[in-house]
Amino acid sequence: MVVNFNYMNILINNSRCTRQIYATPPGDLAIWFFIFAELLAFGIFFVAYAFARAHNVALFDESQQHLNRTSGAINTLVLITGSYFMVRAVESIKQGYANQCARWIGAAIGFGALFLLIKSFEFYSKFSDGITLSTNTFYMFYLSLTIFHFMHVILGMVILVAVMIKAKQGGYSAENHTGVETGAAYWHMVDLLWIILFPLIYVIH
Amino acid sequence: MNKLIRPSTLIWLVLMLLTVATYAIGEAGVGGTAMMLTVLGIAVLKVQMVANYFMELRHTRWLWRGIVLGWLVSVTGLIAIAYLTTIK
Repeated sequence: MVVNFNYMNILINNSRCTRQIYATPPGDLAIWFFIFAELLAFGIFFVAYAFARAHNVALFDESQQHLNRTSGAINTLVLITGSYFMVRAVESIKQGYANQCARWIGAAIGFGALFLLIKSFEFYSKFSDGITLSTNTFYMFYLSLTIFHFMHVILGMVILVAVMIKAKQGGYSAENHTGVETGAAYWHMVDLLWIILFPLIYVIH
Repeated sequence: MNKLIRPSTLIWLVLMLLTVATYAIGEAGVGGTAMMLTVLGIAVLKVQMVANYFMELRHTRWLWRGIVLGWLVSVTGLIAIAYLTTIK
């Protein structure tokens, strides 16, 4: 056994791929409890949608036909790209490049704004057609889920603006950048939720 | 960095391609169990990529990845069950 352990240690020490395993996720631990609470809330909402549909398949499938799937797909690409920009922001600050980090955060905020713009056009089109929460059960779910998510995008952007301002002022460094990671974690959660919401509401029937 | 492509850039590209795949399946106009399972499967893969690579959970204890995976499997599993109950 001793020999085996030594052998393993040599393997681990020689491997260039080895990384430290952290006890907690990146960023402030508090944001992760917030994220898990959000996942739970949205998760219940997603499952409720699926079971509500099971009781009225024809209505849900017919109503889904009127959604703008192209706009939903473009918005998925927009959120994923915004998320990627936050990954780059974290990568930048880990190397000590605060200005570069702030620019990547700015790009992520810009893509958040683009998402809100596209989604607003979608809402405008639905509201112009006279669709409200009480039109039918499908639209009740579609509107409340996407508006609930919309508000999370806004909150994510507010957090990112605060982080970007601090980054610009030199508040983060290669050694101390928990704030950037905290903002990034929340921003990725907004993306992660949309990754399930889009196929669930717009595609699967 | 002497790699041809940044790992995060590669993940981003795969996520974009998987989104286009989901959209294409939607545009094909097909329905049914196979379509539902494929689209949900793609979503599971994408969520895992975002959680493990973008949110960097792959460098943390199994507990944290387990919470996200447990949530993901429960939610998508229940969605799949709800859809399967409608198949006659």
